[in-house]
Amino acid sequence: MNEQLSAALAAEEAAIYAYGLIGVRLSGEGDRTEARTAEQVHRDRRDALVSRLAQLNASTAPAPAAYELPFAVTDRASALKLAIHVEDGVAAAWRAVLPVTENADRATALSALTDAAVRATRWRRLAKVTPMTLPFPGHP
Amino acid sequence: MVLTVWVVIRDNRHTRRAVLGATAASLGAATLAGCGIFGNGPDQPSAPDPLQRVLDEAVALAAAYDRAAVNQPELAQRLTPLAADHRAHITELARVIGTSAPSAPAPASSAAATGDAVATLKSLRAAEQAAQKTANTACRQAPAARAALVGSIAACRATHAEALR
Repeated sequence: MNEQLSAALAAEEAAIYAYGLIGVRLSGEGDRTEARTAEQVHRDRRDALVSRLAQLNASTAPAPAAYELPFAVTDRASALKLAIHVEDGVAAAWRAVLPVTENADRATALSALTDAAVRATRWRRLAKVTPMTLPFPGHP
Repeated sequence: MVLTVWVVIRDNRHTRRAVLGATAASLGAATLAGCGIFGNGPDQPSAPDPLQRVLDEAVALAAAYDRAAVNQPELAQRLTPLAADHRAHITELARVIGTSAPSAPAPASSAAATGDAVATLKSLRAAEQAAQKTANTACRQAPAARAALVGSIAACRATHAEALR
């Protein structure tokens, strides 16, 4: 379980980093509000994971100072694309937590998977990407 | 005992202790099953699979989308991908449960249902939210091997509710 929770932590940290870049490329209050809310949600999840991993006496690696992006973020379109990419990645990390947890830990993972999937759908709508949904969110 | 010897010969990567532990566990299970202590004999009808309800809902939702797309063609483009998601769920759930995928009835245009796209979207959204709750519960109670699949289905239903806003 620790391995999967650590991977979820890494995904949340990457998301926080990405939203910093995404925010400055978005236009319009709707976009920006969505990005701010998303970033805060990922910060909360990150904090919860750090506490849980400490409780489990699992060591965690410090978050990298920077990440290599899958593509350059230069405008609104590429920022929205990165937001979709990030939420899909977070969904995948939390999905992997489901089989190795039970009870409260599994409920947390399910809630995080669902939240990332819904957020990805909202970004797809803003980016006018169709279809807006995936049949199995988080499935590689 | 035949099985145990076979396991030992076949799989020499396991430690002796692991094999002995497995032997003890399987002997225990065999003994209990043989005694019929838990009353799970062949006379009792087997309970439906815990995922049957999730499957039934997927079938009903796919059919509801098909009906809505027929009755309100202006919604078809929006609803068709969502119906396709449910069909993908039906296939996977049927596979995991070990049943054949039920075929949904062909969508019939009902004379009564016309027009109100807003009401249609609202009722589909309510159905998705109810179905998400079922899948959430099923995910929390699922054995490890099923947890990821049912979790993804629950999350997908939540994205549908969002897409229908």
